[in-house]
Amino acid sequence: MKQINRIDNGGRINRQKTLVFTFNNKTYQGFEGDTLASALLANGVDVVGRSFKYSRPRGIVTADAQEPNAIFQVGSTQATTIPNPRATQTELYKNLECHSTNGWPNVDFDLMGAVGKVGGAAMPPGFYYKTFMFPQSMWMSYEKIIRKGAGLGCSPQLPDPDSYDKLHHHCDVMVVGAGPAGLSAALSAARAGARVIIADEQNELGGSLLCTRQLLDGQTAQVWIDKTISELAQNKNVILLPRSTVFGYFDHNYIGINERRSDHVGELDHNGTRQRLHKVRAKQVILATGAHERPLVYGNNDVPGCMLASAISTYINRYAVVPGKTLALMTTNDYAYKAALDWHDAGRKVALIVDTRASSDGDMVKKALQRGINIVFGHAIIDVKGSKRVKSVEVAKLNDTADKVVGATVSYVCDTVASSGGWSPVIHLSSHTGSRPVWRDDVQGFVPGKTVQAQHACGGLQGVYNLSDVLKDGFSCGAIAAKEAGKVHGNDFDDHLNISPAVDEFSESAPMALFHIPHFKPTSRAPKQFVDYQNDVTAAGIEMANREGFESIEHVKRYTALGFGTDQGKLGNINGMAITAKSLGKTIPETGTTIFRPMYTPVTFGALAGSDVKQLFDPARFTAMHSWHLVNGAEFEDVGQWKRPWYFPHPGETMQQTLRRECLATRNSVGILDASTLGKIDIQGKDAREFLNRIYTNPWSQLAVGKCRYGVMCKEDGMVFDDGVTSCINESRFLMTTTTGGAPGVLAWLELWHQTEWPEMEVYFSTVTDHWATMTISGPNSRKVLEKITSADVSNEAFPYMGWIPAQVAGVKARIFRISFTGELSFEINVQANYGLHTWEAVIAAGKEFNITPYGTETMHVLRAEKGFIIIGQDTDGSVTPQDLDMNWVVGKKKEFSYLGKRSWTRIDNQRNDRKQLVGLKPKDPNFVLPEGAQIVFEKDQAIPMTMVGHVTSSYFSACLGYSFALAVIKGGIERKGQSVFLPLADGTTVEAEICSSVFYDPKGARQNV
Amino acid sequence: MSNLVTLESPLHHADFSSLAALNIEGGVILREAKLLGHLNLRGNANNLDFLNGVKYVLDLDLPLQPCSSTQNANTTIMWLSPDEWLLIVEGGSEAAVEDKLRQSLSGHFAVSDISGAQTMLEISGKDCLQLLQKSIGYDLHLDSFPINKVIGTALAKSSAHIRRTGEQDFQLIIRRSFADYVWLWLQQSSKEYGLSVIL
Repeated sequence: MKQINRIDNGGRINRQKTLVFTFNNKTYQGFEGDTLASALLANGVDVVGRSFKYSRPRGIVTADAQEPNAIFQVGSTQATTIPNPRATQTELYKNLECHSTNGWPNVDFDLMGAVGKVGGAAMPPGFYYKTFMFPQSMWMSYEKIIRKGAGLGCSPQLPDPDSYDKLHHHCDVMVVGAGPAGLSAALSAARAGARVIIADEQNELGGSLLCTRQLLDGQTAQVWIDKTISELAQNKNVILLPRSTVFGYFDHNYIGINERRSDHVGELDHNGTRQRLHKVRAKQVILATGAHERPLVYGNNDVPGCMLASAISTYINRYAVVPGKTLALMTTNDYAYKAALDWHDAGRKVALIVDTRASSDGDMVKKALQRGINIVFGHAIIDVKGSKRVKSVEVAKLNDTADKVVGATVSYVCDTVASSGGWSPVIHLSSHTGSRPVWRDDVQGFVPGKTVQAQHACGGLQGVYNLSDVLKDGFSCGAIAAKEAGKVHGNDFDDHLNISPAVDEFSESAPMALFHIPHFKPTSRAPKQFVDYQNDVTAAGIEMANREGFESIEHVKRYTALGFGTDQGKLGNINGMAITAKSLGKTIPETGTTIFRPMYTPVTFGALAGSDVKQLFDPARFTAMHSWHLVNGAEFEDVGQWKRPWYFPHPGETMQQTLRRECLATRNSVGILDASTLGKIDIQGKDAREFLNRIYTNPWSQLAVGKCRYGVMCKEDGMVFDDGVTSCINESRFLMTTTTGGAPGVLAWLELWHQTEWPEMEVYFSTVTDHWATMTISGPNSRKVLEKITSADVSNEAFPYMGWIPAQVAGVKARIFRISFTGELSFEINVQANYGLHTWEAVIAAGKEFNITPYGTETMHVLRAEKGFIIIGQDTDGSVTPQDLDMNWVVGKKKEFSYLGKRSWTRIDNQRNDRKQLVGLKPKDPNFVLPEGAQIVFEKDQAIPMTMVGHVTSSYFSACLGYSFALAVIKGGIERKGQSVFLPLADGTTVEAEICSSVFYDPKGARQNV
Repeated sequence: MSNLVTLESPLHHADFSSLAALNIEGGVILREAKLLGHLNLRGNANNLDFLNGVKYVLDLDLPLQPCSSTQNANTTIMWLSPDEWLLIVEGGSEAAVEDKLRQSLSGHFAVSDISGAQTMLEISGKDCLQLLQKSIGYDLHLDSFPINKVIGTALAKSSAHIRRTGEQDFQLIIRRSFADYVWLWLQQSSKEYGLSVIL
């Protein structure tokens, strides 16, 4: 296998290390240091994909982030495959496997190609809008076909085996881009003592210096690069980040960088971090992103072999690849002559240079003449012949204003066409923060506009292209940025260090402003002149969009899909704007530019997710008794971030069997629940009691020390948002409990009212949720269990219902609360959490003779529902007042100061009789468990849509009652007890249920009060 | 019923003694300073009696400078907010310290024992700064995070109070219920440097 386009000498490749790879299942060889693109070109691969709409064969056009065609599916497995990386930015590694992403079913013979060949008229711009919009209901089917034809790559089907992470940074000066401008800026900023980070998307720092033949201080650019990097690397305040793309520039100088750490080694290296996201907060940002060369827009400019002039130079100088045999160069400027000179000096033939200008006497032109290269001034390449590779070009003379061609065409044989329409500063990042780019005629490009960021721009980004000027600009920019970051160099600083190296410059004649090469025929009849290769947007398409009334560049963009590809318009946007401007008779600044947004180039989801995946996706919170629950076979339920035992199945039990066993054990003997997750707030201060009066709906003035009370909290709208038991510890101290999920919200709520409305109240709130491990023993035998492990008197006389006592339990200091969420005799034991498991195990041991049964949230839900106890968020939804819950008893009537929610209950809407009210439901079929969420209607035989009057909020089968039951909210339900309602279910059946009291079990509350 | 009362720190299940026995040479060194006394103290920094009372009980000045801390042989005090401090005392002494504070302080104040609510991790080693860079957004440069400074910040998807005790030494105060998450996070994030657990 011969690399037919590889030249014998030069390039930054390691010829000692051959790398075998496959492209579309064919095997090729390249060298270490190659990109996938340079290796394919070295092997003479012309066609790398098919175009989006017309399915035309396409070849590699660029050597950088602009690449529209060489977009591949890279990777050998469904776990490691990457959709759409640019071959020009993909480093070659051993055994790399890749495929074209488009070109279904293959690049050389394509069914869609037939569509393209029938002719462009069949698929004008807006094709998808025009043809597939109607009927809208069919869009989903159209989309599938279009996607298949378009081919934008496939996402991996298997889990990603790699790891990713994120690193936060702070620095004085963030330098984006490590070309001559960025490196010199980093040097001077670092020399001033600034903390500097410099990032570059390429595998080596150096940017354009990596493929220049210019000398710096009489030596090759490599000498200067090495010296510079060595100085930066030795400075402990400097971080160098190669292979790191700055993909986003956000407000407050916040920078996102995607570092590819192991992609270049191969896809199967799973040790360490594959990609790292650096999040940088910089005092000053220096953008040294350089410029991208613009192609010219001419007939059939998409035939493989048509490339950017600078890409040709890069492939020759950096990769020792000459991507063809005979070159024709079309240029509007001197700089692009470099491509022809490099081509010629590599020993291959330059057919001719077509210079669109009337003349030029720059040094580069002279060099071309010295080499005997044929230069034709005032002409243009108007058409290219060939289909899978350039065969020849048609050259014609331009008129004075370069908007028409005149005379006869002459044909030249060649296999490669290089074009250069000048350079566009890479303004993408500067636009991310909302700054609008500004057109500069002298630069013939947009440069960064005004910004509110502490941002500097230097080098090519500012339209400074001459190397010695770029270096000077960089040095000065770095020093200024360091100074503005508050860094001024020390005494030992030698200013002459910052003198930039001398460069052997060459003289240049002025470039010409030309974007769209005219043809003898009008654009609409001329050969296709591509502007955006990836989306097959042509000059004719843009002109048609303009004719159809799309004049704003944003509309043109959306109508034609200009700039919509994965290259985001890097290659074609400026040309598209120029064509729009020309067709509308405006200037480019009048036409405006579209705004670039992050990401600069695509970033993998893995990098964005970082380590926050799998078990680290969301924190799981555990109680002190979790290990016991695990050993005892608990199934867990997520309650917020908490993992709570859901139920404790015995081997072979169904969930229903477990619940039945747990419920009956608790009602008949004793059960135990881990209640540690309930929110707990320590409230201290002399105004604590009054504060509770204002926050809760019920009164707290009379609650004695040692007593507990259930309370309900409403927001200002009068709707219930949390509940719980609060206990009086002493005159100026209360312990509030909240729902598990509501804990942080309640604490914030208390702080909000204290800090903003009642700052004069002397009260402090501290969360003690995690401090206490809480276990509730419940059931007729719970006292007997407790008595075995405490010497405290826990009799009903000494320790009545709704009180609390301090006590030693199992040798541990504890607080015991006599509160009940099951309706049974209950004791809630609280100990410092480090003693939680010890105490729990002691309770279990003591309860053994009573068959103490651990139960989880599900049994808790059933038992509390049998008692009609609500669960906030299940039986309420933020639109329920205490009155709707039939809980008027929890509403204070005589409190001195008003309290939250009270005023809103007087609103007419809150006093309606037909509000949805909480009631019980008994299904007519005692074994049928109503689905939670089922809608309720009063009349069974109604036309759809029926009048819905409520829904089921909680529904269970009760082992204790022997029938199924539910809680529901029903319009005017409290007055309708005894009446039947109907529940039309999703399966088409309708079931009947009777409205009843929401308290099903022990309505007098005798069992909890013994 | 056994009379032996056993305490378990929030990271008991991580079995640090076994991990320490592995004697791994890691770039990150982790130690759980477990079962210490943690007290949350609230009060008015402008109330001289309050300041003097604390000083009397702990023989240590309450740090008033935001994000600062003070320390003596038995006690560390970390500034958490303008009216809130964290007292770290010897494990088991917290109840006595709480009682003494209640006796010695006057005016509006609050003390809450939160010894069960959190634990302290000590992180050190040559790569501990990188580990923290992965975990928190705060600037770790000595100019912005000097020794003895205390910050309250997001640690991955949980939170922590972090105090710097040396150039490469940090104390992390984390919540009990999130301790397992933080432990998983620290293992994942220190993988590339090697994690050495010490007792």
